[in-house]
Amino acid sequence: MTRPYMDIEAASVAELITCAFEHAYDQGWTDGAPIIPATHESVAQFVQASGRDGNEIIGVLPPRKGPATVEAIAVNAIMAGCRPEYMPVIIAAVEALSDPRFPLEPLQIGTNAMAPFLLVNGPVRGKLDINCGIGCLGPGWRANTTIGRAMRLILLNVGGALPGVYSKSSFSSPLRYSYMCGENEEENPWTPFHVDRGFKREDSTVTVFRAFNFCNISGGDGVGADETLRQIATSMPPMFGGGGVLLLLGVNHVHSLYEEGLSKRDIQQRLWELARLPASYFPKAFVATARAAGRGDAETVWRSGGPDEICVVVAGGPGPQDVYIAAGMPQTRIIRGI
Amino acid sequence: MIATDTFAKFGRRMASTQGFPYIVIAETKNPIRELDFDALRARVEAMLPTIIDGLTLKPGEIERRSRDMAKEQIRPRGIVRSSIPV
Repeated sequence: MTRPYMDIEAASVAELITCAFEHAYDQGWTDGAPIIPATHESVAQFVQASGRDGNEIIGVLPPRKGPATVEAIAVNAIMAGCRPEYMPVIIAAVEALSDPRFPLEPLQIGTNAMAPFLLVNGPVRGKLDINCGIGCLGPGWRANTTIGRAMRLILLNVGGALPGVYSKSSFSSPLRYSYMCGENEEENPWTPFHVDRGFKREDSTVTVFRAFNFCNISGGDGVGADETLRQIATSMPPMFGGGGVLLLLGVNHVHSLYEEGLSKRDIQQRLWELARLPASYFPKAFVATARAAGRGDAETVWRSGGPDEICVVVAGGPGPQDVYIAAGMPQTRIIRGI
Repeated sequence: MIATDTFAKFGRRMASTQGFPYIVIAETKNPIRELDFDALRARVEAMLPTIIDGLTLKPGEIERRSRDMAKEQIRPRGIVRSSIPV
């Protein structure tokens, strides 16, 4: 197989990096930010770190039906600024994205602004320094930033979701640059998310969600469990696009809810009951759609069809904050080879 | 395929990913949502010759007629991203 490598000559390292970025940008390979150019040597290093053959196809990505080989994943991971040891996480995430039950094609081509959200569980978080505590969804951590970015570059270059050409997202989203974190299992008094889904605590996993938004919820401290959950639920109005919820429950609320004796199931149940609004608030068509999907009764429309659609994960650092993500259709894969 | 002009090229791109790069597309100007019955009927009648072509021409003839145009629509030369419909 011939590889489309090219030679770039420059008088200095700075010029070389600039030339490589300009070329990649002209080719449509980037998300707009600078990239690290992939070389024969770095690709070989990343493939080796994956523990797999470079030609192995991990998934076929729409809309172009591009084969996500280990080598293609490596090239995009390098461009994104990843370390070689991140490869098993990215490969597992591509496996999850490629699952036929995951709605990747609408994410890739639709006029909406959905993005994949990656949640990492297990020992791999510590080994790769994947942030799950203070600032876990923001800048500052290489693994969080670059693994999420590698996913975007893979969707762009392998899947072919060229903005405005194949991807018709009217506004797109800042969440499409990178959207991932680990679960703060060390602050979780209940079972971690991957254990809830049938994996062992010592397994390392990545879960991919179809995500619509990011909503930070502030307040609700020291007011009792019911008021705290009411505060959270009022930030989770019924919405178009399905009933899935991913609640990243912050450390303060985790501790107070646990100390008041609530289980994770109690939280899911109470949020399901509270996250409802009168049907009269909404357009008739929306009410009809929600009811047909099992998310409403005669008087109210619900955020989700049942407690199971509300995924509760512990993340972030101290403070009376939580994050609500309208996210569903989770696909979880074990991360192998760390 | 029936599509408005805003989405026709995109429609061909998506059809090509399913193995149908030379699909016949009956196009009409976007938008159509606000058209009344008579205006909509006029649009449909204007598209009828294309629809009949799509239903009656042999595949080889459809390919011959649309090959060059389809190639450009599926992979527009020099465009790797665009903030306007292409």
